[in-house]
Parts: sequence; structure tokens; C-alpha cells
Amino acid sequence: MTRPLTRRELLERAALGGAALSLPAFLAACGGGDGIEGTGTTTAAGTTTGGSKTLADKLTISNWTLYIDIDEETKKYPTLEQFTAETGVAVDYIEDVNDNDEWFGKNRAALSQGQAIGRDITVLTDWMAARMVRLGYVEPLDKEAIPNASNLVAALQSPGWDPNREYSLPWQSGLTGIGYDPERFGGEITSISQLLEDPKLKGKVTFLTEMPDTMGLMILDGGGDPSTVVKADFDRAIERLQAGIDSGQIRQFTGNDYAGPLSNGDIWACAAWSGDMVQLTADNPNLQFVIPDAGGMIWTDNMLIPTGGDVFTASTFMNYVYDPKVAAQIEAYVNFICPVEGAAEEIRAIDASLADNTLIFPDEATLAKVKIFDADAADDNAYKQQFQAVIGA
Amino acid sequence: MGWLHRHRGLVPYLLLAPGLAWLALFFVVPTYYLANTSLQSGSLDAGYAFTWAWDNYSDAISTYHEQFLRSLEYAGIATVAAFLVSYPLAYFIAFRGGRWKGVLLLLIIAPFFVTYLIRTLAWQTILSDSGFVVNALQTVGLLGDGDRLLATSTAVIAGITYNFLPFMALPLYVSLEQIDGRLLEAAEDLYASKVKAFLRVTLPLSLPGVFAGTLLTFIPAAGDFINAELLGTPRQSMIGNVIQSKFLVLTDYGEAAALSFTLMAAILVLIAVYTKVLGTERMGV
Amino acid sequence: MSFLRRHALTAYALVAFGYLLLPIAVVIAFSFNDPLGRFNYTWSGFTFRHWENPFGPPGLREAIVASLQIAALASLVATILGTLVALALVRYGFRGRGLTNLLIFMPMTTPEIVMGASLLALFLNVGVATGFWTIFIAHVMFDISFVVVTVKARLAGFDRHLEEAAMDLGANPFTTFARVTLPLIAPGVAAGALLAFALSVDDFVITLFNAGSTITFPLYVWGAARVGVPPQVNVIGTMIFLVAAGLMLASVLVQTRRPKGTS
Repeated sequence: MTRPLTRRELLERAALGGAALSLPAFLAACGGGDGIEGTGTTTAAGTTTGGSKTLADKLTISNWTLYIDIDEETKKYPTLEQFTAETGVAVDYIEDVNDNDEWFGKNRAALSQGQAIGRDITVLTDWMAARMVRLGYVEPLDKEAIPNASNLVAALQSPGWDPNREYSLPWQSGLTGIGYDPERFGGEITSISQLLEDPKLKGKVTFLTEMPDTMGLMILDGGGDPSTVVKADFDRAIERLQAGIDSGQIRQFTGNDYAGPLSNGDIWACAAWSGDMVQLTADNPNLQFVIPDAGGMIWTDNMLIPTGGDVFTASTFMNYVYDPKVAAQIEAYVNFICPVEGAAEEIRAIDASLADNTLIFPDEATLAKVKIFDADAADDNAYKQQFQAVIGA
Repeated sequence: MGWLHRHRGLVPYLLLAPGLAWLALFFVVPTYYLANTSLQSGSLDAGYAFTWAWDNYSDAISTYHEQFLRSLEYAGIATVAAFLVSYPLAYFIAFRGGRWKGVLLLLIIAPFFVTYLIRTLAWQTILSDSGFVVNALQTVGLLGDGDRLLATSTAVIAGITYNFLPFMALPLYVSLEQIDGRLLEAAEDLYASKVKAFLRVTLPLSLPGVFAGTLLTFIPAAGDFINAELLGTPRQSMIGNVIQSKFLVLTDYGEAAALSFTLMAAILVLIAVYTKVLGTERMGV
Repeated sequence: MSFLRRHALTAYALVAFGYLLLPIAVVIAFSFNDPLGRFNYTWSGFTFRHWENPFGPPGLREAIVASLQIAALASLVATILGTLVALALVRYGFRGRGLTNLLIFMPMTTPEIVMGASLLALFLNVGVATGFWTIFIAHVMFDISFVVVTVKARLAGFDRHLEEAAMDLGANPFTTFARVTLPLIAPGVAAGALLAFALSVDDFVITLFNAGSTITFPLYVWGAARVGVPPQVNVIGTMIFLVAAGLMLASVLVQTRRPKGTS
């Protein structure tokens, strides 16, 4: 993937450096490391070639919030500090991924022009990672530098959009199922159909604005297979959703702001994410998270190297976090689903109860019931348009 | 000094220059890009190209006229509500505030310090189905037993009203505070009742503030999307939500841009009509 | 009955302020909550620990500082630029008045997301790195309109005779402006500045696109909301408000100490 820098890119990088130098000094300290949007090893030669085997001075990572362990007293990231201690690479960790579409919308302009975006690693969900790979906005990993990649759990080794894991490695996974309050509802909930049809739940149900999650659950409930979406299944699911909205059964479509209403009883059941439910049940032990009988969804946030990122340094980092000990450390804090084999054993040493929490280390039975949403369908504009029309935009 | 006097005609241009230059560079130029985008078609995979895609505009209006109208409706109702709530408040601060005017004005914008999201989530807690507000309204009979406040158009409009209150209250205050109390005394000396004095003296003199406040509330409210997203159902979706979705989720940049320009045009037309109706000189337009 | 009449307005003002500050009350209340998980929705117990450690969550302090700095600078610049424009529009006849008005209204009518993205496109094309200063530029850009409209409201009711009188008494235009005009439109300018500050400290969408790696308070909160906004955010919001209110109160007290005749 080497490409000589065009003159324009060279000038742009020079301009970036120049703009940074003109920042008033007294604000540079508070500006907090911004201004220079180059890569770790910005030299005139620019893009690091696939063959470079030297570590850069700095690694810049873009991730979702609270997705890595942190020491709340010192406000430092133990895992990252260890990495720096072992390799000498400073890590600039920026939690600026809030939403896949939002992240993409912000960075598309630069990426589409082949410009580096100042990140060596970014973490994006399956279908967005698939899009990045498809559009060529990523660099291939240096697999030689990631022997620990063999620790990747079997289920995630070969997604359709990156069959040989050349461009990505999972960071965390999560489950989408039903979160509900058995006490308020007065019974058990085992299916999406109940959410759509039980009159007791009228106006007390929400679904997610994330299409793969909501439509995945709907298609499963309708008897279809969301890992290979069939138009008829999709259309039927859309009809059922629309009917639910028209009748007032479905209250709203939410991001993770279902958490508040579920806690205070404004909603009794919703499509929910496992990580959220771990947190909610801490304050509200009667809340339940279940995978519907018809099946649930599993999604994965993946590490990618965007255009211009330092491949070797990023790959070295990925290798580091795929060490089961390190993975356990991260997992103990993050509480989503760990993609690294062997971390469960390591985590016993830290907190035994976590090792047994099936929302963090799902057992075979749970894993058998969950599917990954078809990445092509997730990014198909016709499907997305249909869904957006239903949720009101 | 002499130079300035000789070149008096230049003064307005000198005053305008810095502000307009900033806008020219950082608003007009981006808007030009946007206009260019609005006539493009394409997709992420195939790329985007300028194709005089006027159908972006015709599609925008034909498919989304419901959301357009709803946005204008909600913004209008919210503006009126904000006016009704803010006018007495601004009056109070202007005429009875005394030394505390500054503090009181600060209290009005205080909610902005906790960010939009937190404010709206707080309203979700306050207006919760089992919260005291809903219970009170049900007891009084204004709300049916099975009804709710959240996830309704009422909640969305209430949210918009709340968020734009300062934009109505501050300009109103600015106008009211200027009114010389002696004018009101004079009116009363001339046997006008309090109400008459208000209607014939205060209200007309505060019209510049009314004009400013209604504009600063209505315009941004029409493009709002957050309140509909958090406090509404799909049936309350506004044009802001559509634009957000077209841009971010569907990466249909041409349509998003076309929708934006259509919204802008609609609002500007309304402003022009409104200005004419109220009378331009008095508003300082 | 007349007691009611006399105090009706005050009573109303109290209710109105109550309404305005009700969400703040909830925010303050939950800053004392002691949640067991990461979400702060269910009351689990009273604690002072968030107040003891308000800057615990990493990045929170930097975000607040960035937001306040940008807001202060942007509102200052926007107020100056906007006031000048307002003066020109109200006081002078000039060609291009209609166009100027259009230019002032248009930023307010543009949906933030397309404005933010278009501005980013501009910065990209000229090679300016996004960060603190691009956020500042964007904020001034949309603040100007609000300042202009607010100051115009004040200028529209301004009595020109006062200025004429000053000049008849020998003051030159600058002195007249500084000693007569400015003090009289000061509330309008201050209100414009307040609005600009509020807009800037609360802006999310445009900032999102043009922030680079800088994280402002709204960006921080939005990101944190995904996994649970830490109660410290409630604390910070309350603190800012209290500090600002405290400063205003202090200025009131200082003013009452000043000997009469100089106000």
C-alpha cells in the first residue's frame, strides 16, 4: 500500500505543521495536544510503508468512551502505561468515537482524499469497519508483528468482510438482546413478539436506532437469518415495526438513553446492550437481560489502522492487548465481551465473579443463540433508507 | 479625526468590515461548498459528482414536506410559548430587578452550563410517567390516567421552548430595560389604567425586543433535532432529524444539502414577511 | 387583593425561575447520588465523594477548561464584531443593507450539521489543522448573528437626541460613543455577550466536526453518555453555575458599597 506523496499532500502536511507552530504558546498548553494532525512518524516521506519495522515515538488511538481500563485515582491508563514502559512508545489515547456514523461523517472528507487523519488505530463496529475496508480507507495489519492474534476466539476469526483478519482485530464485543423489568411487567419476557404484541407493554417498549441491532432482532423473531439478510424478511420486519409504531405499542427509538426510562419504569422492556445492562443491574438488581429464544445479536468493535497510520507500531500494540493477561486487565474494567481466548482464566485472579458473569464471558449456549448482522446489508442504502423512514428521519 | 469626518460615508463600511469579513470567509465560503454539494449526486462507493442534480431539491420537498411543516409548526408554537413565559419575566427583571439584574440574567442562561444533553435528560426524569409532574396533572384532570407526557409532541415542543427561553428573554429584557419609567408615570398622570399604559406605551416600545426575541427563537428552533430525537416518537420527527439522518447515516450529502437550503429559504421568506408586517424602521432593520 | 396584584409579577417571576431552574435542581440533586453502576439514573444513596473529587474522570477538567476558554474568547470577539455591525445597520444608510441583513440571518437558519461539515471542508482544503482555534473560529461565526440581532433591539429604541446633545456640547464622535452611546447600549451588548457565551459553551454539532482532538465539555458529556455520565459532570455544571452566580453577587455587593454619584 505504498504510494509516493503527491506534492499537494506534502504541502498540506507542511501547512499543518505551520499552522501548529503559529498557535499562541499560552494556549498551546491548554489546547491539549491538538493542532498537529500528522502521524506518529511524520516525515517528509509520509506514509509508513508496510515493511518498516521500527517503532514510532507515539501511538495515537481513537476509541469509544470507557473502553479501556483506567485508574480513577491517578487518571492514568494502566494498560497503556505498561505498553509505554515495555516498548518506549508514548500513547495518545483519545475517546472521540461516540457513534460510527458520526465518526465517519467527521473523517470522511479527509479519508476520501487519501489524507491521514492523525490516528494510528481507530475502533469501529463491524459494519463500519467493513465500509472502511471496502473503501480502502485502512492499512493492512503487519501480521508478523501480531503473533498473539492466534488468541482470537474462534467465533470471530473469519467475518465475511475481512475473512483473513488482514485489516482488523476485535477490541470488544457485545450482545444485543432484551432488557426488561420482570417486576413491573409481572412476568417473563422471552421474545421480541411479546414486545410488539403484549397489550400490557403498550407504550412501554423501545427499540434501538441502530439498524443492525433492531432489524437483527426483528428478523430473528420473524424466523429469518440476519447474517444473510433476505429482502422479504427485511420487508416483513419493517412492516411489523411500523405497525408497532402506528398502534403506539412502541414508545420510541433510542440510542442508549433507554437506560434512564428503564430504570425509572417509563419503559418496561426494550432492545438493549449487554454492557449497559451490567451497569444498570448494579443499581437495579431486578432488571434482566435476556437473549430472546429466537436469537439475539452479537456485534464487535474492531481495531483498524486508518490511512496514514503507523502500521508497525499499531500492530505491536494490537499484539500487546491480545496477551490474555493484558486482555483480562482491560476486561475487568470494561465489562463488555472479551475477544481474547484465555482471558477468562486470567481474570479469575483479578475478580472471580467477573469470570463467571455470562454477559462478559458468554458460555457456549449463549454464543450459539447469537448472530452477527450481515455487514453488506448493514451498509446497504436501500435498507437503511427503509429503516430510517420508519424511525422517523 | 478630520479624515474620519471627511470620509463620513466610509464609516458604516468600516464598522461592517471586520464582522462581515469573518462571515464572508467562514460562512459564505462553506455555504458555497454546500450549494455545490446540493447539486451533486452519487454514493460513498461510486463517488460524488456535480451533476446539476435538481432532483435533490424536488425530492426534498415532495418527500419531506410533512417534516418541514411540522418543524415550522413546532418552532412557531415554541416561540409563542417562549414569548408568553419570557415577557413577564423580562419585565420583572427590567423594572423590578434593581441591583440584581445581572444575577437574574445569569440565572436565565444558567441551564446552558450543564449542556443540552444533561438538561434534556433531567427533563426526562422530571416528566417521567411516574414523576410528580405527571401525577399532579392526572390528579387535576389535565392528563388522562394512562397518558404520558414524554414521547409526545407536547414534550418535544416543551423541550424546544425551554431550550430557547434565554434567546427570547434576553432581547426582550434589553428592550424593556431601555424604557424610561417616566413615560409610564406620564401615562398614568394622564389617567391611563395600568393595563392601558402597558398596551399603549410599554408594549410598543418593547417591539424591537419582541422582534429580536422571536427571530432568535424561531430560527434555530426550526432546525432543531435533539428534542425530537430524545423526547419524541417517529411521528414527531422534524426536518432537522431528516437532515441529520441523510448526512450521517445515509451519506446522502446532496440531499442533506438540498434539504438545508430549502429550510433556509423557507425561514428567510418567513423573516421577510414578518419584518414587513412589523415595520422595518422601528426594528432597526 | 391589591397585595396579590402588586406581588403577582414577583410571584410569577418566582414560578418562572423555578421552571427555568428545575432541571438544574435535578442535576444538583443527582450530583450527590452514589450510584453503584456507571449510570446515574437511580437514587442509590447520598454522598459527597463526587464533590470531593470533581475532576476525577480523566479528561473532564481539560474539557471544561477548553470550553470556558473558547466561550470567553469567542463571545468577546463576536460581541465586538457584532456590535460594530449593529451600529452600522441601525445608524447609517448604506448600499448593501439588504445583503448585510441576509448575511446576518443566514447562519442562524443553517442546520448545524451541514454548517459544521462545510466548515470542516474549508479547513481541510486550505490545510488548517482542526482543534482549539478552528472551534473558536466556528463559534465566533455563528455568535455574530445573535449579537447583532440583540444589540439592534437596543439601538432601535435608542434616543439619538442624547448623542446630538453631547456633540452640541463639544464632544467628538469617539468621546460621544464612549461616554454616551456605549453606556446606554451596554445592557444590549452585555445581553449579546451572554447569549454568545451560552451558545458557545453549549455547542455540540459544529464543534464536533471542527474539534480535531480537542474535547469540549459538550463533546465530553456526549461521549460519556454512551456508558453513563459520571456524577462529576453534575458537580461541574453546578460548580460553574455557582461560581458565575457568586461573581455576579459579588459585583452587586461591590456596587452597593460605591459612594453614590459615581454609578
